[in-house]
Amino acid sequence: MIWKILLFVLMTFVSIAGISFPIVEKPSNWYEFPLIPGLGENAKIIFFHVPTAWLTVVAFFMSFIFSIKYLKQKNHEYDVKAYVANQLGIIFCILATLTGAIWAKFAWGAFWSWDPRQTSIFALLLIYGAWFALRSSIDSDEKRATLSSVYSIIAFFTVPFFIFIMPRIMTGLHPGSADDDNLGPVINFKMNENMQLIFFLSLTAFSLLYFWMWNLGYKSILIKEKLIKKFER
Amino acid sequence: MLQFLTDKAIYIVMIIVLIVWIGIFFYLLTMDRRIKIIEKELKGDNYEE
Amino acid sequence: MKMFSRAYNLFIKDLRSELRTRYAINALIMFILVAISVILFSIGNEKIPPQLTAGLYWVVIFFSAMSGLSRAFVSEEEKGTTLTLQLVANADIVFSGKLLFNLSLTFFINLIITFLYAAFFEDFVINNFSLFLITFFFGNIGLAISSTIIASIIAKAGAKGTLYPVLSFPILLPLILTCVQLTIFCFDGINIENSVYELAIVISYDIVMITISYLLFDFIWKE
Repeated sequence: MIWKILLFVLMTFVSIAGISFPIVEKPSNWYEFPLIPGLGENAKIIFFHVPTAWLTVVAFFMSFIFSIKYLKQKNHEYDVKAYVANQLGIIFCILATLTGAIWAKFAWGAFWSWDPRQTSIFALLLIYGAWFALRSSIDSDEKRATLSSVYSIIAFFTVPFFIFIMPRIMTGLHPGSADDDNLGPVINFKMNENMQLIFFLSLTAFSLLYFWMWNLGYKSILIKEKLIKKFER
Repeated sequence: MLQFLTDKAIYIVMIIVLIVWIGIFFYLLTMDRRIKIIEKELKGDNYEE
Repeated sequence: MKMFSRAYNLFIKDLRSELRTRYAINALIMFILVAISVILFSIGNEKIPPQLTAGLYWVVIFFSAMSGLSRAFVSEEEKGTTLTLQLVANADIVFSGKLLFNLSLTFFINLIITFLYAAFFEDFVINNFSLFLITFFFGNIGLAISSTIIASIIAKAGAKGTLYPVLSFPILLPLILTCVQLTIFCFDGINIENSVYELAIVISYDIVMITISYLLFDFIWKE
């Protein structure tokens, strides 16, 4: 219960702080952000865009772990947990793509420019969309769970390539690509302390939100199945 | 009035985001409570049988 | 070594049954000709940059693979011989045999595609031949491995024909992107030292895919 209250407080604070704190040239108060040349006001999207992208990876990683557990022990609960994790993963992937495209419109001029990182997040969408297509084409429960677990494991091996390797070695517009000489503002901790604090609070808040949604998701599916079994008797 | 609103546009965005977030949060809270009730009911049934 | 000879026998059986009827190989070669003709038609007399030629080359390779490589498992399901195969050999041998078959099929059709491209596309001039050989070799291996494991997955699902490219394309995307990049390097004549990153990606893709394929095939193959 406490962490739900914490989540509420955090997310509210991040929404207020992340959106309303002004961006000025020389921040003198604790509630002011520095001006990054070229970005200006829309730098605030970082508080919402990066956490959704990060959660995509976390969600798909959880699905990977539960898929491995399912293949080892064939416990139906693991399959449900992996399913819900993949659902949330795709939702956050779509959010990351959309927020990225909106940010791209303001920072680079166009919604979509086939920048390597844009291409790779879109490829992730295709991979896990295919996962859902595979699931819906199999009838038997156990075979569906086994085959989708196998594909989830194969798919996760491409995730590090798409998220961590490809955008860094190819030249592109996104920060951290081969054009920049650093790995981007997040990894290099080059953000101002205020922004860093709000950013990590946002990351925590979104992670708690994901964990709660995943919990509710898999419990509701398990309950539905139990109820169906009960009423079939 | 319009000029005042245009200047403070960022705060309007913030209020909208807060409203959406509060809506989502209370929806999740309602779902959470409902699931707890149903789970307790199901567990009660299991022990009875 | 015994395992390898058993896998080799499986491969010979598939090869023989394929050569006996030649349905698949004929259809595949016709598909390659049609695909390349469509592309040539659409281009017309326009001059296309070498990057586009490299991309189109791997597009035709990808779609020919999608057309031909699922037969390894789907034909077993269709003929009803899957159960027999399960009884006769264990999972590793079955996968090795099918992989050998797909490997040879991939190399065969890609050689044809390469020759056709070199003949019909004026920009397809390979300036660094050794880099191209390495790309061709490791790229085809990666293509065959991924196609085989995905073919084994969809053989047990429904809607096999349409699902196969849908599942395979994103898994093959890292390989295809890197190979297109390497092919462009071959056209530009960039030497091997400068392409080490991309070659490392292709080779590690091959190693990763073959490892997880062998590990996971057991779960797919058992009923």
